[in-house]
Amino acid sequence: MNKNRKMSTEKRHRLVGWAFLAPAAILIFVFCFFPMFQAILLSLQSGSGDAAKWTGLSNYIRIWKDKTFWQCLFNTFFYFLVQVPIMLILALVLAQILNNPKIKGKGIFRTMIFLPCATSLVSYSMIFKSLFANDGAVNHLLMNLGLTPVNWFSDSWAARVVIVIALVWRWTGYNMVFYLAGLQNIDYSVYEASYIDGANAFQRFFKITIPLLKPTILLTAIMSTSGTLQLFDESVNLTAGGPGKSTMTLAHYIYNISFVETPKFHYAAALSVFILVMVAILSAIQMKVGDKRE
Amino acid sequence: MKGKVISLILAAMMTTALVGGCGTKTDGVTAEEGGNTNEIEKGEVQSETKPAAGSDEAAGNETAEDETLTVWCWDPTFNIYAMQEAEKLYQQEHPNFKLDIQENVYTDIETKLITAAEAGDYSTLPDIFLMQDYSFQKMVTNYPDLFTDLTASGIDFTNFSSGKLADSTVDGKNYGVPFDNGATIMAIRSDIVEEAGFTAEDFKDITWSKLIELGKTVKEKTGLPMLTSSGGAELILQMLQSTGATLVSDGEVYLSGNEALVEAIEVYKELVDTGVMVEYTDWDQYIASMNNGSAAGVVQGCWIMSSIQAAEDQSGKWAIVNMPALDGIEGATNYANCGGSSWAISSNCKNPELAYDFINATFGGSVELYDTLLPNAGVITSYLPAAESSVYQEASEFYGGQKVYADIVDFAGKVPKLDCGAYYSDIRSAITDAATNAVQNDADIVTEIQNAQETVEFNIGG
Repeated sequence: MNKNRKMSTEKRHRLVGWAFLAPAAILIFVFCFFPMFQAILLSLQSGSGDAAKWTGLSNYIRIWKDKTFWQCLFNTFFYFLVQVPIMLILALVLAQILNNPKIKGKGIFRTMIFLPCATSLVSYSMIFKSLFANDGAVNHLLMNLGLTPVNWFSDSWAARVVIVIALVWRWTGYNMVFYLAGLQNIDYSVYEASYIDGANAFQRFFKITIPLLKPTILLTAIMSTSGTLQLFDESVNLTAGGPGKSTMTLAHYIYNISFVETPKFHYAAALSVFILVMVAILSAIQMKVGDKRE
Repeated sequence: MKGKVISLILAAMMTTALVGGCGTKTDGVTAEEGGNTNEIEKGEVQSETKPAAGSDEAAGNETAEDETLTVWCWDPTFNIYAMQEAEKLYQQEHPNFKLDIQENVYTDIETKLITAAEAGDYSTLPDIFLMQDYSFQKMVTNYPDLFTDLTASGIDFTNFSSGKLADSTVDGKNYGVPFDNGATIMAIRSDIVEEAGFTAEDFKDITWSKLIELGKTVKEKTGLPMLTSSGGAELILQMLQSTGATLVSDGEVYLSGNEALVEAIEVYKELVDTGVMVEYTDWDQYIASMNNGSAAGVVQGCWIMSSIQAAEDQSGKWAIVNMPALDGIEGATNYANCGGSSWAISSNCKNPELAYDFINATFGGSVELYDTLLPNAGVITSYLPAAESSVYQEASEFYGGQKVYADIVDFAGKVPKLDCGAYYSDIRSAITDAATNAVQNDADIVTEIQNAQETVEFNIGG
């Protein structure tokens, strides 16, 4: 009798738990998973509007033949491989510096570094565009330093570098906040012990900070990976994908296929599914490499 | 405790803002659509909220036949202003007539149209909307159900310049009424070329090779480039149009082996390599290069004039001539078109007769309207009878007494048709790539054009 009653209380608690979860879960399902499922269905068809026909994997086969796709994939991976490591290392270093209790005005520095994240993607793109314009601030600076000014947006590699710089400026602070939070969770006694053992600053950083921050580093790496593969605003607003298509990202290309060029929604859906799979694979690799817990 | 109180207040504020925000938005929409909604809905609106100014007006309209049309366009000083003037004009005869003009950025209009068409739900569309000419063919070919065929609407299309009209004509059917005029002009700083020993007349009816020759002298004598450019395919496409090229026809792509295209990219490359033309990738810098006198001229659609005229201190120093023609290409002329837009009537229009009559009485046939729009908004029309009016014959002080507007309508009448089928954007994108590679990386032009051909073929075959 007593036991029975306890069971039902437990059951009730569970039900209450599910009831709290339900609204969010239903919303996520309806507005996130359902459209994703629809997109997968869409990617298996071809033709426009009502005239769509089931064509199996033809859109996916098309991807392999699409030169523009490979160009955009290359650009996206360039941003991913160059920008993500630079940004994460910079964020880690900044977090380490700002975590030092002796630094004065920590709050101001933290705010300043985080502030770019609060800027709208479009407005910061506009500002970078004017900074790197032919007669912009950056070229003036280069000339004052006695260097030759660069035609930033007319040269493929220069334009890609501008995007990387812009991304680093925009997202370093964001990742730094995660590292700061992670650093504050490391017990100071661990460092104290290392002082007693005579560890120097480098040893402390590589032997204590990095291993203990691993979960946070993994989190930021996965977030940056998925963020970079879905990069859109910078490509559209800062360089318009140019010169040619040398800075266009995959997400920008998908948008162009849907709304700028002759609309091919089914093919665009196939490309989106492709990105999804790629993010999943990359994240899985990172989790395998980063998470050594048994 | 204090923290909790503050957060509670903040949360409460946010919630009210959210709810209140949504509430006002709904109000706004119902008030806007007041004219279109039926009586039942209106009753509901009024019982729920105290009648606002908008619903009062709507209630007043109930007795008469509903004569409101919704319009989507994007520029308050240009096409929205034009619609407002058209509304005023039409109201003189039809006092109950009303327009509900909704400002939508052009890319939003196109996105909304595509979304509606893909979803098969046309109820969100306005009665009339303005389309950029470069998208017109693409939209009509892919989504014919968005549009109303205007061929038999009573509007006399022969009064418009044929090059412009071709953009909104698909399979011989008219889907759009031309709004403005995008005839290509070459605007020249007469004071700068005079410094180099020329007059603006020397640039009239010339070819590109002659322009490069003159430009080199100008650069030598004044140190300034002859032309400024916003880069890429725009100029090349104008050169192609000036020859009346066919780039796509019946699903066949004609880029590879197209002599006009090879010549156009070669001219473009030479212009950049010799420094006769300077390129700006940033639009603001491009406009600034005209206004601060860092180039002696520009080849662009005539809508660029409003930007040129922004530099009031340069009044009297500019002249307008036609663009140079390509050398040695069959059918080459000195006339092309760049940009511009046309009015379309959606398939969702509840009262097409009213819409036809409104357009016919204003943009489709009123010299009076165009006479108002020219001086006040700089709208140059493709409506040929307007060129005869006295407003268009007036000499412009800014252009040193030249009758520029009559000249431009005259140019517009001579523009050959560029045939891109529904694939203008795809072609433009492929040509931009080809031109960028040819100019930046010295790539072989014929190979680049072959690549462009393959890219466009790939895009079409999807």
